[in-house]
Amino acid sequence: MASGVVAGKQGHSALTGLAFAPDKGRARTTGQPAATRTTAHNQNGNRPGMSLALIAALPFLGALLPGLMIRAGRTACAVSTGAVTALALLLLGLNAPAVLRGEVVQTRIEWLPQLGLNANFMLDGLGLLFAGLILGIGLLIILYARFYLAKADPMGQFYTYLMLFQGAMLGIVLSDNILLLLVFWELTSLSSFLLIGYWKHLPEGRQGARMALTVTGAGGLALIGGMLILGNIAGSYDLSVILTQKVAIQSSDWYLPALLLILLGCFTKSAQFPFHFWLPHAMAAPTPVSAYLHSATMVKAGLFLMARLWPVLAGTPEWFYIVATTGLVTMLLGAKIALFKHDLKALLAFSTVSQLGLITMLLGFGTKAAATVAVFHIINHATFKAALFMTAGIVDHEAHTRDIRRLGGLRVLMPVTFAIATLAALSMAGIPPLNGFLSKELMLEEAAHTVWWQNPWLVGVLATIGALFSVAYSFRFVAHVFLGPMRDDYPHRPHDPGFGLWAAPALLAGLVVLIGLAPMATAAWLVDAAAGAVTGAAVEVKISHWHGLEPAALWMSLAAIGGGLMLLGLFAPLSRLWEGTPRPEAKRIFDGLVEPLATLSRRITDALHDGAVTRYFAIATLAILAAGVWAFVSGTHQQGDHALTPVALVPAAGWALLMVTTCAIVALHRQRLLVLILVGVVGLMVSVGFAYLSAPDLALTQISVEVATVILLLLALNYLPKTTPAESGGARRLRDGVIATLAGLGAGGLIYALMTRDFAFDTIAAYHLANAKTEGGGTNVVNVILVDFRGYDTFGEITVLGIAALVIYALTESILRPGPANDRLRLWKAESQDAGDRHPLMLVVATRLILPLAIMVGVFIFLRGHNLPGGGFIAGLVVAIALVMQYMASGFEWTAARQKIDYHALIASGVLVAAATGIGAWFNGLPFMTSAYGYVTLWPLETFELATAALFDLGVFLTVLGAVMLSLASLSRIALRAGETVNLAPYDIDPAAGRTVKEEAR
Amino acid sequence: MTSADFSAVFPELALAIFAMAGLLAAVYTGKDKSAPMMLWATVAAFVLAALWIGTGGTGARTAFGGMFTDDPFARFAKVTILLSAAAVLAMSQDYMTRRDLLRFEYPILITLSVIGMMMMVSAGDLMALYMGLELQSLALYVVASLRRDSAKSTEAGLKYFVLGALSSGLLLYGASLTYGYAGTTLFSGILSTLNDGVPLGLLFGLVFMLAGLAFKVSAAPFHMWTPDVYEGSPTPVTAFFATAPKVAAMALFARLVHDAFGGIPGDWSQVLAALAVASMFLGAIAAIGQRDIKRLMAYSSIAHMGFALMGLAAGNAGGVQAMLVYMAIYVTMNVGTFAFILSMSRDGRPVTTIDSLNMYAKREPLKALAMLVLMFSLAGVPPMVGFFGKFYVLKAAVDANMVWLAVAGVVASVIGAYYYLRIVFYMYFGKESEALDSGMPVAQWVMLMGAAAVMLLGVVNLFGIEALAAVAAETLVR
Repeated sequence: MASGVVAGKQGHSALTGLAFAPDKGRARTTGQPAATRTTAHNQNGNRPGMSLALIAALPFLGALLPGLMIRAGRTACAVSTGAVTALALLLLGLNAPAVLRGEVVQTRIEWLPQLGLNANFMLDGLGLLFAGLILGIGLLIILYARFYLAKADPMGQFYTYLMLFQGAMLGIVLSDNILLLLVFWELTSLSSFLLIGYWKHLPEGRQGARMALTVTGAGGLALIGGMLILGNIAGSYDLSVILTQKVAIQSSDWYLPALLLILLGCFTKSAQFPFHFWLPHAMAAPTPVSAYLHSATMVKAGLFLMARLWPVLAGTPEWFYIVATTGLVTMLLGAKIALFKHDLKALLAFSTVSQLGLITMLLGFGTKAAATVAVFHIINHATFKAALFMTAGIVDHEAHTRDIRRLGGLRVLMPVTFAIATLAALSMAGIPPLNGFLSKELMLEEAAHTVWWQNPWLVGVLATIGALFSVAYSFRFVAHVFLGPMRDDYPHRPHDPGFGLWAAPALLAGLVVLIGLAPMATAAWLVDAAAGAVTGAAVEVKISHWHGLEPAALWMSLAAIGGGLMLLGLFAPLSRLWEGTPRPEAKRIFDGLVEPLATLSRRITDALHDGAVTRYFAIATLAILAAGVWAFVSGTHQQGDHALTPVALVPAAGWALLMVTTCAIVALHRQRLLVLILVGVVGLMVSVGFAYLSAPDLALTQISVEVATVILLLLALNYLPKTTPAESGGARRLRDGVIATLAGLGAGGLIYALMTRDFAFDTIAAYHLANAKTEGGGTNVVNVILVDFRGYDTFGEITVLGIAALVIYALTESILRPGPANDRLRLWKAESQDAGDRHPLMLVVATRLILPLAIMVGVFIFLRGHNLPGGGFIAGLVVAIALVMQYMASGFEWTAARQKIDYHALIASGVLVAAATGIGAWFNGLPFMTSAYGYVTLWPLETFELATAALFDLGVFLTVLGAVMLSLASLSRIALRAGETVNLAPYDIDPAAGRTVKEEAR
Repeated sequence: MTSADFSAVFPELALAIFAMAGLLAAVYTGKDKSAPMMLWATVAAFVLAALWIGTGGTGARTAFGGMFTDDPFARFAKVTILLSAAAVLAMSQDYMTRRDLLRFEYPILITLSVIGMMMMVSAGDLMALYMGLELQSLALYVVASLRRDSAKSTEAGLKYFVLGALSSGLLLYGASLTYGYAGTTLFSGILSTLNDGVPLGLLFGLVFMLAGLAFKVSAAPFHMWTPDVYEGSPTPVTAFFATAPKVAAMALFARLVHDAFGGIPGDWSQVLAALAVASMFLGAIAAIGQRDIKRLMAYSSIAHMGFALMGLAAGNAGGVQAMLVYMAIYVTMNVGTFAFILSMSRDGRPVTTIDSLNMYAKREPLKALAMLVLMFSLAGVPPMVGFFGKFYVLKAAVDANMVWLAVAGVVASVIGAYYYLRIVFYMYFGKESEALDSGMPVAQWVMLMGAAAVMLLGVVNLFGIEALAAVAAETLVR
């Protein structure tokens, strides 16, 4: 498509007055990728020059001056600022001859070379053009601002920001390194933010600054991404290298993403559709700022970058359709809105949008001729638009209003301003012989020959319509402000300002005329150099006013001027129509875009983070599940090869009971007592399972742990409500159920997968079986592991157990102290009635009978532990259970009075005994916890074994016993506080006396 | 256990002794009255330890049979951790004293968690990894609920604990699977078993450990605890959460994937890339709607972790270097930002709404400018140093042929820029509203201005950290 465009173009370039010189060795044609610029430049001698870095640095150094000089007065401040700019301009001028000869001046300074970031500067035609504009217009703006700003305005601050901005802009156009360019690019966003926000008291200023910052800031970040990709494709971040890599870049898979990201940066900066809305709102800034940033410099940064990268990015269909179409749409849209704006600066702002669209479109055409016209129009636009902004500022300054409806007839009161404004506006309208005419006609000619989606006339017609609107708004600027009858209701009676204020626009108006009259002498050389740098080919333009009757542009121009005048004639009814039709308002679009997005984001966030831990768990579980599935799917693995063992009936039944109980727990989890019983069933089944799988030790441990915990939990639950609060609705429970099921299936599947596969090594069981007797001196492997092989672990565990018991004690202790929890406890009322008989006689008698037996069992289990199922842990639990039963049967006080053991001491002594056993090994020169054993014969007993491990086990026994009993004691104290009566007698009926306790008390 | 082993862990050992001695001393003397002194002593201890480590040996050595590694990577991470912890402690003293929060346990708990972090970054073994991680986490659970009379703070601590316990369990499960299929817990041992294929169990072990670590760095979708904990915890604690533990967890991440699983970068870099993308986008999008600056910083940290993970996902030395540089810069920015947040108060009461910053620039131009610099830096706008951090990781991703990841990162940073700039906007152009208190304690002021200055001056050569990070990365990626 685009190649057709290019081919179609070549024949017309002569018509439009442009001629390309034949290759002179340094030029290259579009088709030849590698006739590299660098080598070409080298032939002509690249000039190294430190002055470039100095030029870029001067404004930054100069930014320090205003703050100091402001004490010396406003003029001194302006002069010093201007002097710095002038010096930079002078240095630039010194480099100009070389550049105009076609050389490229370069300065290279290493910065962060590893990152590819170097402070490399270069100056070619394009850079020269832009640097000249930035410094030249900057100088005029400094002059203008000196007289524009009121006495109350902090001028020093203003000039500081202005110089920062100037430096940033210069940096962009002089950078040879795209990363360096990025740095300066964002610096312009930052400094323009400060400049726009300079007049903080205006509400529009606020909104403007926010939009400008948001839009250009975001675009700048996108640009970073684009540049990164570009640099990656080219293998360097230096422009001089990148610009030689056209083929590599355009054939890369990442060309389109890079292009899109770079264009996003350019379009936001240059206010191209659909990002055009921020520019007019940034106009609330002081007029010098508007004139500088929004006409001459910052908004052209986007154009500059497009022009700079034109040699490597342009020429593809993607480039043509994205850039040219965007430019065209922007041109039309901006022109239409501009016509109907009543604020002078808004009119100019939208006209700027439109004109920038025009230049973008020209660059988008992708032909050398169009690019050359674009360069020419950049110069022309900068001159007339800056002049127009300054005159608008003068009107505002003098008449105290910028509303066109309140102005009119100013030509008599402000003749000088009128003259300047008229010249600039006519140029913008494209009236011969002014410079705007020349570039606009060239543009129309280019547009007329551009084929868009196989449509040969669409672009031409739309461009003419755009031009037509621009004629209309340009004339409106003059007619509705300066012409017409004089009014007597100006907010402030205007008159021409002093020379200082109009000098700068007058100079620019003079340029408008000069370039218009003698384009070849005044501008062609600059256009040659700049266009040569853009297109990579030597360009010699021939600009003239008259090309004969043949070219389409002549007729399009005439149509535009005629139509524009007609449009202005019909302004009143059209304006009413415009006011009547609903239209997108920038601020509303921005708010309309940002607000719902913010709301949306808030809604997403609230949905994700509603503060409920259940939801967090749901998300986390799903994420883990997804990770697991990913791991399973992505890995290459074989089927597990372990044979499955047959399922016998009894374990299957046990498993089914386990499952049913588990499900019942989930279903009935609100009934605390019931659930506790069910948990007990689960524990029982697990211990049965252990027994079935030949692990009697574990079964014993499990069952005694089960009993002890159920009893303690029962006591604890006594003071809690019998049911838990209802927590969620059906839908959520369904969700949670599904997630839990999935997670369970996932875990089960994983375990299945793992158990059918070999581990990296054999199980450790074999080692223990083989060595338990010989190394640890015991035949009960589990016990040997506990007290010997893994004695260290056990030591840690009993310590933790002891600490846990102490923590329970400390927590209940804190409840007993005055406080809200204590109050609740004292007011506690039992939900259900007491059982009639608190200490049933049978139970009391039974427990007392059992106690010695239970202790005997405990000792037995302890002693046999080393060789047969048993051990200190189980023994401790058994004895503890026996003691707990006493408390339950006979009451706390009665039992406590009969045993004088301090549980804290019990725990401590347990840990100490275990530790002492471990330390004992040191005295034999062995590491901590090394065990030893020997055989002793003690008459009349048979030979038996004595192992240090048994001593260690004693420590375990004591700690376990102490921990359980301390927990029990803690819970009892709560019971007392909750109003439980204390009975010193073990049972209500004293059989010896034959009366009840109550009767006795009476 | 030889004296060489002990000399390798000397800084950790010294800090542990310092913590325990401090605990005993405070209990038996002034208790909370000695807290400020304890706090400053801790700051001094951290700085001394950082100096010791930073200027100490060069090269790499292992101790305790390979369980503990002392190499340039660990030293880089440790110095960052110690200095940021010292900075956060220093600026929290005034805040906590004023709100009667300064318990003597606070600096001690922070010290314990810092020791845990130092263990983490030096871990050469799954057990050492877990020990360090838990030492760090347990201390952090407690400090999160330091303000016991506040329901929010308590809830924060509890949530952090419950979710943290889940992640620890997951990590442990993954570690045991890894052990089961690699036959060793030593990183170097695991690495050497990878040559002959990756068994399913090992893959699961890797994935579960990554998920567990993702919790610790608060990478999406394992980030849920972050906003609640950031908001609920006392602000100095939040500041701490946002700095040192992040560095430690990130470094641990790097250590695990490179030291133990360096042979199969293909398997984990995709997971990391997915985590990175999810975090960057979630952080960026969710932060937009926030009205509380602490909550906003929580989402911001999620997004930043996404960027750091992007560097790691690159799977090469350049990526690790990028991650280290990123983390160092990130920590500096956060120290400055939180110094400012700590100073936000109205009539002596802490304020954390973003609205309260309206027109701040008018009353406090210098501080507003510092915040502007920090916010721009957080957004990654050149020429602030934050840009270089972002650029490093993006470049690492592009160099590793993960251009899509870099593009996603750019898009996320564009979205994310919005809320940072919104803060700046409020400060410079907001509506008139009630003014914040103007005073600022010296320590906070120094941190704020220092961080802002670093963000600007670092442009020159990033203070040379890139070279250090490069050395660190090279020792890790072999």
